[in-house]
Amino acid sequence: MVQLFINGLIAGSLGALVAGGLALVYGVLGVFNLALGQMALIGGYSTWWLHQSLHLPLSISILGGLLVGALLAWLTFEIFVNPFYRRHRFLPLVTTIALSMILDGAILLLFQERPRSIVPGLKKMVQMGDARISMEQVGLILITFVLLASFAYVLHSTAFGRKIRAVVQHEHAAWSLGIPAHILHRLIFILSGVLAACGGIFLGIDQNLTPIFAFPLTIKAYAAIIAGGKGNFWGAILCAYLIAFLEQFVVGIHWFGLFYVPAGYQQSVALVFIIFFLLFKPSGLFVRSARAA
Amino acid sequence: MKKFLSFLCTSSLLLALAACGQAPKTNEPIKIGFLGPLTGGAASYGNDTSNAAKMKVAEVNAAGGIDGRMVELIVEDSRCNSADAAAAMQKLVNVDGVVAIVGGQCSGETLGAAPVAEVAHVVLVSPVSSSPDVTTAGDFIFRVYPSDALKGVDMAAYMEKESYKKIAIISENTDYAIGIRNSLQAALPEGYAIVFDEVVDPDTKDFRSLITRLKKVKHDVFVSNPQSDSVLAPMIQQYREAGFTQPIVSQDIADSMNLLSLAPEAVEGMHMFNPSNMLGATAKAGERSFSEKYREQFGEAQSNMSFATLSYDAAGVILEAISTVGTDGDAIRDYLYGLTNYDGAAGGFHFDENGDVIGISNVLKMFKDGQIVEVTE
Repeated sequence: MVQLFINGLIAGSLGALVAGGLALVYGVLGVFNLALGQMALIGGYSTWWLHQSLHLPLSISILGGLLVGALLAWLTFEIFVNPFYRRHRFLPLVTTIALSMILDGAILLLFQERPRSIVPGLKKMVQMGDARISMEQVGLILITFVLLASFAYVLHSTAFGRKIRAVVQHEHAAWSLGIPAHILHRLIFILSGVLAACGGIFLGIDQNLTPIFAFPLTIKAYAAIIAGGKGNFWGAILCAYLIAFLEQFVVGIHWFGLFYVPAGYQQSVALVFIIFFLLFKPSGLFVRSARAA
Repeated sequence: MKKFLSFLCTSSLLLALAACGQAPKTNEPIKIGFLGPLTGGAASYGNDTSNAAKMKVAEVNAAGGIDGRMVELIVEDSRCNSADAAAAMQKLVNVDGVVAIVGGQCSGETLGAAPVAEVAHVVLVSPVSSSPDVTTAGDFIFRVYPSDALKGVDMAAYMEKESYKKIAIISENTDYAIGIRNSLQAALPEGYAIVFDEVVDPDTKDFRSLITRLKKVKHDVFVSNPQSDSVLAPMIQQYREAGFTQPIVSQDIADSMNLLSLAPEAVEGMHMFNPSNMLGATAKAGERSFSEKYREQFGEAQSNMSFATLSYDAAGVILEAISTVGTDGDAIRDYLYGLTNYDGAAGGFHFDENGDVIGISNVLKMFKDGQIVEVTE
């Protein structure tokens, strides 16, 4: 049980990193970014390149990967989102799909098809009761936790956080009160890129990176933010963990000796569960029923 | 007048064509087709196998051809998929009029080209297609590569030899991996059983929940049965990280040097079944080895020298058939079924009643001290 819980924490942290950024962007800009999985992979691949090809220390490589993530997110915002999203909020949907294809090609060209691992080899495992966990995984869980906690602090206890929440609630009203919404938009988008890159780097350390992995990453993040209530940051985070726990706990065991869910359905089971929930709470698990006009 | 002229032209053209069909000039070249991926992700296979087929044809031509006729190899790109292979096959058969085919390389290519070959009565010998479906693809379809189904059979024999009675297996949900799992299960002897049998979605990389459950299942050996090395690496790594010390057995996906840069400790000691990659390295008496001659002409093989060797032999066995029984498709087919031994660069082989090769088989390999070695006993 403890091991399954830890497994869920590991997978959930990865999901939360990617989904959290996505939820912020949707909440603040109302924009869907479908190139997010690719942005995560590029962050991971950059770190791999810095660490394995240039032989820089891991910490510097990770910083480099995050920097590349930020840079890529900024360029994405300026070229693929900023010129469009004010005209219609669905336009960036198309432009970021185009971007995701461009990035897919770029990843194949730059890093080839073969799998890459940032830290190859066996991880040092620590025994905790009857469960085992590696230092890298402890690090990931803690870092995700620290990131989320500091985020909570910024969002709820600082002037800057209040401005963000104001923009989420009503952009034009916030604007009229002198909050520079366009700068906030840019910052939030870049932040989502950094969080995604964080996810990609973790994936590259814990498992390995392959070019085809981008789309499943994006899909899971979307499942989390939709289930969490569109644009609800904490809902998305919680749902990312929820999906991960469901995946760990539901499959591979005999339920009351009656039925058995094979591992092949691991990913479907969690999504089916969420669809079921949404039938009863269509506006999201963590949102009080939305006011209809 | 114009109409009459054009009528005259067409009819004379038709006559000429008809004449051509009735009495082929004996000094015309014998045309052989080649199907393989020359572009795309699998292009390295196509590069090596087409080079080797060209090499065989050039050697036969240098020795005077077949009955004084030169052999011409017509190469078509079938892009590792069945639709392109079927189109390329139509072109080879109906436009070029080839008498036999070397190819396809990817199993999808062979399966796509097979129906065309059957209808046209053109023999097709695939150098490296491994899908079990190729066995039943048709009467004119041969291959010199062992079927994937045999990997499961070889694994079962290995389990028996090592007395691994309780087997845990995780398979990726693809035709290829499931086929191996099924053939392993079918071939297990009495008293041997798969005690943990899970199938995961393609491209799964997180096996922790399964491996946690595996802790409650007593097993002697772990069979890692994925479709790509990017899945294999985290699977065996997470297996070892969970503290298991049981031996790991796998199939040809594990025969990848990539794994050394992904999971160097976890792969150590892993056994796997795959045809030898030393095919073509042994020289016949008084000759130089195939791989030496190949390297001289084309440099190092892009994918695998064994693939080139098998393509060389596929072309070789076709040309031997043509020189013995002529260019009739049915006669070539019957010759190949009746063949008792073809002494190829990869070793001696012949075909069974399904056109599958006998004589080229899987060998046991393992990771040892950071290298892939063939286990010889």
